[in-house]
Amino acid sequence: MKALSIVVTAVLLIGTALLVNTLRAQDTMQMRQRMIDLGKQHKTAESLYLALKEQARGGRRLTASSLPDWSGVYTRARGGITFDPDQPRGGPPTATLTPEFQTKLTKRIEDANNGIEWDPISTCSPPGHPRWLTEPFLRDFVVTPDQTYLINEMMNDIRRIYTDGRDHMDKADRYPLYNGDSIGFWDGDKLVIHTNQLREGIYQRRNPDYTDQVETVEIWQKTGPKLIEVDVWVYDPPALVEPWYTKQSYAKLDDQGKSLRIRFWHCGENQNNAVEETPSGGTQFKDFTFDGRGSGTGDRGSEEAGRGSSR
Amino acid sequence: MFEQTKQITVEGVVKEFQYSNPHSWLLVDVTDKNGKVTTWGFEAEGPSTLQRAGIRPSVFPAGTKVTMTGRPMKDGTPAAIWVLAVKDDGKKYDPRAGFAVK
Repeated sequence: MKALSIVVTAVLLIGTALLVNTLRAQDTMQMRQRMIDLGKQHKTAESLYLALKEQARGGRRLTASSLPDWSGVYTRARGGITFDPDQPRGGPPTATLTPEFQTKLTKRIEDANNGIEWDPISTCSPPGHPRWLTEPFLRDFVVTPDQTYLINEMMNDIRRIYTDGRDHMDKADRYPLYNGDSIGFWDGDKLVIHTNQLREGIYQRRNPDYTDQVETVEIWQKTGPKLIEVDVWVYDPPALVEPWYTKQSYAKLDDQGKSLRIRFWHCGENQNNAVEETPSGGTQFKDFTFDGRGSGTGDRGSEEAGRGSSR
Repeated sequence: MFEQTKQITVEGVVKEFQYSNPHSWLLVDVTDKNGKVTTWGFEAEGPSTLQRAGIRPSVFPAGTKVTMTGRPMKDGTPAAIWVLAVKDDGKKYDPRAGFAVK
């Protein structure tokens, strides 16, 4: 009888846990759909941003005593290096692309599957925004009343969000920038950001391209003691049929020994992509020679093994 | 560039630890049965990720005996992605452990 009671209790507990998980998953999916729909209600990022600002009655200015605590060292909580952390594993990106950009993406993935992959950061270009959201390194976030600094470790890549009430540059004076021009306002403890004036780029490896017409709206919020979550809508008419909504998240790392540091580094510190001519006229790679010169026997190895490759 | 499924394991002695960004390299001298020494390069993440994995420059001074497992270059050159390093005292070092969120 006692054994039966234990079994029944266990079944009830497991059933309850499964039910709770199912309801949570449904909530998450419904919330995601609401956010997707919100994006679709607006033809441009600017329109969405202004609607959010109106809803927040213009937002509020922070003071030194009302700053949220975003201190600590963070890293991307999920998603690896896909732009949408909710992209099904092994599946295609969740963006709805125009035919031209779908064709580009299909070719990029095919090429990558055949070992051919080009990433603009290979030559030390900054990732740029919105790709900035996905970089897999350490981050910290500095909130001040008039500006918020969103910092990624990779080459001290800083986005400056102006929350002092200023507007974007006049249209006639805009020019493409890696991280664009970001303005924002505070809606309670949420930081709402609009970014334009961006350069073209890629969302990530095996992910789509974006054009220099890309603009984003983001809502940043600390949703737990160790979690910052960000709703992101990307608008890019040449590439996207509709706004691409994703939910990004950054987890605060344990640093009890205070050993974590964010230090400047440059991607050229080791030569990821340099192809060097060796004394015999070849290169450090087997079967790869300079046009018509070199033996192609490959001299890579020994001292050269520490240079010339990337993962 | 690297094999995605194959792994190799070699035993050797640390020649140099290039603790650098964006990627680090552990160079290991491997001696074959005929006494020929080949230097293998094992590529890993940059310092901040390695640090979170417990891999500091002082962990692998030159001369350290180590058994390396990695995913080798497709073209057969003696280089690989660093999957696991095991020192003589049995301690294991996995660079990708530095990506754990905790």
